[in-house]
Amino acid sequence: MADQPALAVEDVVAGYGGVLALQGVSLSVPAGTITAVLGANGAGKTTLLTTISGFVRPRQGRITLDGTDLTRRRPEEIVRAGLAHVPEGQGVITELTVEENLRLGALWRHGPAGRTEALADAYRRFPLLAAARGRSAGTLSGGERQILVIARALMARPRVLLLDEPSLGLAPKIVAQVMGLIRRLRDETGLTVLLVEQNARSALGIADRGVVLNLGRVVAAEDAAALAADVGLRQHYLGF
Amino acid sequence: MREFIQFTLGGISFGMVYAAIALSLVLIWRGTRILNYSQGAMAMFTTYIAFTVIGHTGNYWAGFAAALAVGLLLGAVIERTVIRPVENKPPLNAVVVTIGLLVFLEGLAGIIYGGQYRSFPAAFSITGLHAGSLALGISLNDVFVAAAVLAAALGLAVLFRYTSAGLRLRAAAFNTYAARLLGVRVGRMFTLGWALAGLIGALAGVLVSPDTFLYPASMDSIFVLGFTAAVIGGLDSPVGAVVGGLILGVALNYVGGYLGSNLVPIFGLAALIVILMLRPSGLFATSTGRQV
Repeated sequence: MADQPALAVEDVVAGYGGVLALQGVSLSVPAGTITAVLGANGAGKTTLLTTISGFVRPRQGRITLDGTDLTRRRPEEIVRAGLAHVPEGQGVITELTVEENLRLGALWRHGPAGRTEALADAYRRFPLLAAARGRSAGTLSGGERQILVIARALMARPRVLLLDEPSLGLAPKIVAQVMGLIRRLRDETGLTVLLVEQNARSALGIADRGVVLNLGRVVAAEDAAALAADVGLRQHYLGF
Repeated sequence: MREFIQFTLGGISFGMVYAAIALSLVLIWRGTRILNYSQGAMAMFTTYIAFTVIGHTGNYWAGFAAALAVGLLLGAVIERTVIRPVENKPPLNAVVVTIGLLVFLEGLAGIIYGGQYRSFPAAFSITGLHAGSLALGISLNDVFVAAAVLAAALGLAVLFRYTSAGLRLRAAAFNTYAARLLGVRVGRMFTLGWALAGLIGALAGVLVSPDTFLYPASMDSIFVLGFTAAVIGGLDSPVGAVVGGLILGVALNYVGGYLGSNLVPIFGLAALIVILMLRPSGLFATSTGRQV
């Protein structure tokens, strides 16, 4: 059981209408590690995450979480199996307050006592959210919103966290803080993370493994350090 | 001055009924972005159920409770069977479906009960109340109507603001995608929203039917005015629904009292046109667009 990956994607083909965004993608994420998914715009990175979390039905292939087959389930049920997905654009519910956003994340997992405890944990770990708890979530800055949605996803104590472009739209200093947070979560709680990023440099800075997608296929899957050192690959697919 | 007081107070009772219909429409609009043209017909149908129960048991409150229970159930069943397939389709599909439902329910009521006007009992006395020698223009039943709708509105407010179910309902309405990602079963939330709307609509039906009499089309004009009230208050605002209903009820009572009752329907429609021209998002709209 220790050898079983936390998340495994096997030969997944998926797309929208006539366009196949994923053309046979396989990857495996070992428990307690950060795997970065990199590639240019349109490479299929976001589709990969939305397929794993159930918003897009794969036409072929299998997706398993700790060995449990999740392949054709609905997002609400996949989330309840222990997967959390922070989407592109963050998904803050701006009409609710910060605290309501957080509480929402805890509802399916915990009873009343558990929810209070999870909320207290979130405020302990993220004091800036505690300070903003009664404010409408729409008043938060980009960096604060990113912290909020990560904290919200963690309320349900997921096994695996999918993060879609957390650095998007954020100043470099804030990006560094967010990346540092993700690394700390892996170190302190053993969280397994699948991180999609356009900002390959930042992502490889904290990742254990790196997977490069191009036009719906995996073109490289290596240790992050090796990937960062492979100049030819970097320049060809990642632009730096 | 005396007439003014009477007209003001008298308008509150009908105004609260419009508010109830408006509240149902707002619930469904906020939850599923659909305008439920059959809201009045649903209320008419549940009132007929109450009528039947009262006829069999001789007990008003048994009929009242039956109407509310069936309203809850009817809303849920309609959402699950007829509305679910059109929730993600172009808006016109939902319009056609809910209008079709209106026609179906009115036809069904006609078949089962016939088209004749039935008298429907009021919960309390309908004799006018007096403050000393001043006739107030309202009855004990009118006070009950206002109190019942107010209680329902407050109950909804508490549900939405302080309960987990309310949080899920709001999340599913504001951002369905994010809600699903947090494990909210949004389908069930839509069903619940329609069930609650059915409940409030059923309340409106039994409260107003003593005045309008009960027949298959009895809720049609009430629905139009409830819809107008919802537009006045802003389709996204529950507070607006109640305020819009009160404003409309009182204003129409002034028209009826000072200008003549045959002008009331015209004034109602004129109010709808004016508000759509001047402030289409309604008095209580917080924004004309949505923040993301």
